[in-house]
Amino acid sequence: MANKQFKTKIENALDNKVLRGALGRFGDAYTISREQAYEGYDFTELRENIARVKSYAATHLDEMLDQFEKEASARGAKVFRATTGEDAKQYILELARKQGAKRVVKSKSMASEEILLNKTLQAEGMDVQETDLGEWIVQLAGQHPSHMVMPAIHMTKEEVADTFTEHLKRVNEPDISELVKTARVELRKKFLEADMGISGANMAVAETGTLIMVTNEGNARLTSTLPPVHVYLVGIEKLVPKFEDAGYILQALPKSATGQKITSYVSMVTGATPAYLPDGSVQTKEFHIILMDNGRRKMYNDEKFKKTFQCIRCASCLNVCPAFQLVGGHVYGHIYTGGIGTILTNFLNSEKDAQNPQNLCLQCGKCSEVCPGKLDIPEMILEMRNRMGEKEGLPFTQKFALDVVSNRRLFHSLLRMASVAQKPFTKGQPVIRHLPMFLSGLTEKKSLPAVAKVPFRDVFKNIKQDVKKRKGTIAFYAGCLIDFVYPKIGEGVIAAFNEKGYEVVFPDGQSCCGAPATYMGDRKNARKSAIINIEALEAEKVDYVVSACPTCTHALKDSFKELLEDDPALAARAEELSRKSLDFSKLLSDLGGLTPGGDGEPLKVTYHDSCHLKRKMGIYAEPRKLLSNTSGVKLVEMKESDRCCGFAGSYSIKFPELSGPILDRKLGNIEASGADVVVVDCPGCLMQIAGGLDKKNPNIRVIHTAELLLEKRKKMKKKNKK
Amino acid sequence: MGIDRTTELYERFKTKLEAVSGECYRVETAKEAGQLLCKVLQQKGVQNVALLNASISRKGTMENQLGEAGIVVMTDHFREVTPDAHAGITQVNYAIAELGTLVQADADANVDQRLCSTLVPIHVALVSTSKLIPTLMETMATLHRLPRIPGFVGFITGPSRTSDIERVLTIGVHGPKQLVVIFVDEQVEEVA
Ligand code: SF4
Repeated sequence: MANKQFKTKIENALDNKVLRGALGRFGDAYTISREQAYEGYDFTELRENIARVKSYAATHLDEMLDQFEKEASARGAKVFRATTGEDAKQYILELARKQGAKRVVKSKSMASEEILLNKTLQAEGMDVQETDLGEWIVQLAGQHPSHMVMPAIHMTKEEVADTFTEHLKRVNEPDISELVKTARVELRKKFLEADMGISGANMAVAETGTLIMVTNEGNARLTSTLPPVHVYLVGIEKLVPKFEDAGYILQALPKSATGQKITSYVSMVTGATPAYLPDGSVQTKEFHIILMDNGRRKMYNDEKFKKTFQCIRCASCLNVCPAFQLVGGHVYGHIYTGGIGTILTNFLNSEKDAQNPQNLCLQCGKCSEVCPGKLDIPEMILEMRNRMGEKEGLPFTQKFALDVVSNRRLFHSLLRMASVAQKPFTKGQPVIRHLPMFLSGLTEKKSLPAVAKVPFRDVFKNIKQDVKKRKGTIAFYAGCLIDFVYPKIGEGVIAAFNEKGYEVVFPDGQSCCGAPATYMGDRKNARKSAIINIEALEAEKVDYVVSACPTCTHALKDSFKELLEDDPALAARAEELSRKSLDFSKLLSDLGGLTPGGDGEPLKVTYHDSCHLKRKMGIYAEPRKLLSNTSGVKLVEMKESDRCCGFAGSYSIKFPELSGPILDRKLGNIEASGADVVVVDCPGCLMQIAGGLDKKNPNIRVIHTAELLLEKRKKMKKKNKK
Repeated sequence: MGIDRTTELYERFKTKLEAVSGECYRVETAKEAGQLLCKVLQQKGVQNVALLNASISRKGTMENQLGEAGIVVMTDHFREVTPDAHAGITQVNYAIAELGTLVQADADANVDQRLCSTLVPIHVALVSTSKLIPTLMETMATLHRLPRIPGFVGFITGPSRTSDIERVLTIGVHGPKQLVVIFVDEQVEEVA
């Protein structure tokens, strides 16, 4: 759980209207410009290519490094391999001393930020100037970048003007083009005087020893052209094997980073180039390349994190992250921000430094969808969470709650008790507060559902299953929310499959899928839950296992397998369960859907994609089709239908302050669609959105697909009878 | 390249370049390029230029033409003159139609060429129409096929720009504020 200081940082960021405004506006504009930039390009193919060449480089790292060094050296570069940031700094310091360099210009290098190079050089009395405008502003303001691509996105023009005024000792007005002009004039002097240039690179081509830099301002060109001495500080993740491989990254990087087809400048430097020396003669420059490890190798040698090598540092994962959009980069605390930044921080700084920021991940998966490097960032963050949980243990209350959840009898009897105990209270809220995490998300913005009077497991016993032409048996896995809060959804599921000729069984021994434990980093309890359910469901005996909760389906399909891979017997059963498990709308569609029906009553419906369903399972067309096939239903799309609603498991409890605004945005989009009903396929989303709408717009109803189908078909039957 | 193909590539290039605030022209001969150059520079109020020695400018006797047009022409000591020159005139090796991108790829990693195209407020690039390449990927392959990768390869797509303050696009930060590209159909001897 996040600590107090961290929470304060979040609150401050949320209070910062400028930041939120800037991030919000950018987030909206970004989505559109990125799409336009990729128009006519095959993103899937492009990212395949990037993943291929980068993963090749990751698995042939030493070979690539040797080759790069050989090629670059043959062209006059001096190559140094730095194991740590300290090594790199020492090398640069010594070089500067030897060359008598006093004035340094730098073009954007996250690697140098990472090792706090400027401090070292300044301590030596050197004048070090960042030359990327955003970096320069941040440097003058005594801060560090809040975004990999847009370092000063958190500042207003007024703040920039004040910073300039203070630093340049003359008044600067908050006029953006004037501020840019000032920067041009000031930095021009620095470029022309510089004794030494330092820059990073976006790519390093092993085959040719070429370094490639992508910029818009032209500062990299100037930095690499003017000073007679140049040092490139390059993280070893920048390697690509072949020259043409760089083409793929050149295609994707600008499009993903800023929504440009290409940046204004791309500079490719191979070996030492000529430069003007102070005496006016043109000579080959003093040229150094530092290939820096500083924790990267450890990261790539770790099976679960090897893929970080595929990251091209475009920052599109940040740009689409709902949490980042609210708090910006500085909350993450270190140089690298957002989801990918949290992972990098974990390895390049320390696990401890990543502990707070990793909490910010909603696990919504939007980032993986846009990532040109094909990284599964949430998956890696989860792995970090698990490792932290294993190492340090979870805080007592969390641990206790999860222990309770993974003890089926205790958990279920508590839930039953709750349904009785909540009665005397208005809306049933006070009691729920003391229930395990995912049922206890109490915020001012939301109402909570009450625990159902009769859980689904009891309702089930009284359902008459009317199966004509029986085709087989399906086991229904309800999951906690359907079982104890939304039993109606279960009824819908059964009715639908009965109609398709399947009898539905409800294995009594089933219990929580373990997702709350999984997402909080408690692998032990998650494993316990996996075993309970595998034994209870006995997938071997049925044709399918169906769930109407995507989080549960994901657990049945993927997590159980992973959690039990060390136990061959259980793993085999998990595999069988995985094979047979399907989400409600997917299975129903696979079985051919329902025969067209419905009561014909006009109903304007909009659909909210749950993160797990859409991104983990790729299901979004199926439910829409089921809905559209129901007579009377008119489906209207809302804006950003697949944007997270902010429920995200325990997130709404851990970070109500973030979950709230994320929900607000969702509610706004729902309202704007003009629908009477919003349909979801995840009980968690249902709870979150219903809670919000209850306060904001009680005229709009939220309902699960299975429930809506049930309702519409029941009414149809009634009508027909009349 | 057939005429239609060339024209199609040129049109594509022009559209892309204009989309990023560049100016694009096409003329038949180097001489005409010189005339156009004078006109464009005069319109912009340019009084002196840094002119890089290259095949098109030589063939088009641009130094003379510019001089006659009353523009001061500087042809050496670029490190000293480019910081104050009103414009720089260079010739680039290729142009990528897909992106509206110019490619500097001299075998000798010419530092003067970089100064004339980076430090000046207006950069005019001359390029042979025959050097249009359809795509970025083909350009990478073309560069790779050279006897060796030039020490400095520069892609230039429009003038210098930044959006670092409040995401507001501002043209011309460290590099040129204007980029003018003149395509010349006439074949002149190679520069690189
Ligand atoms: S993880 Fe993916 S989206 Fe994020 S910066 Fe790296 S390449 Fe870009």
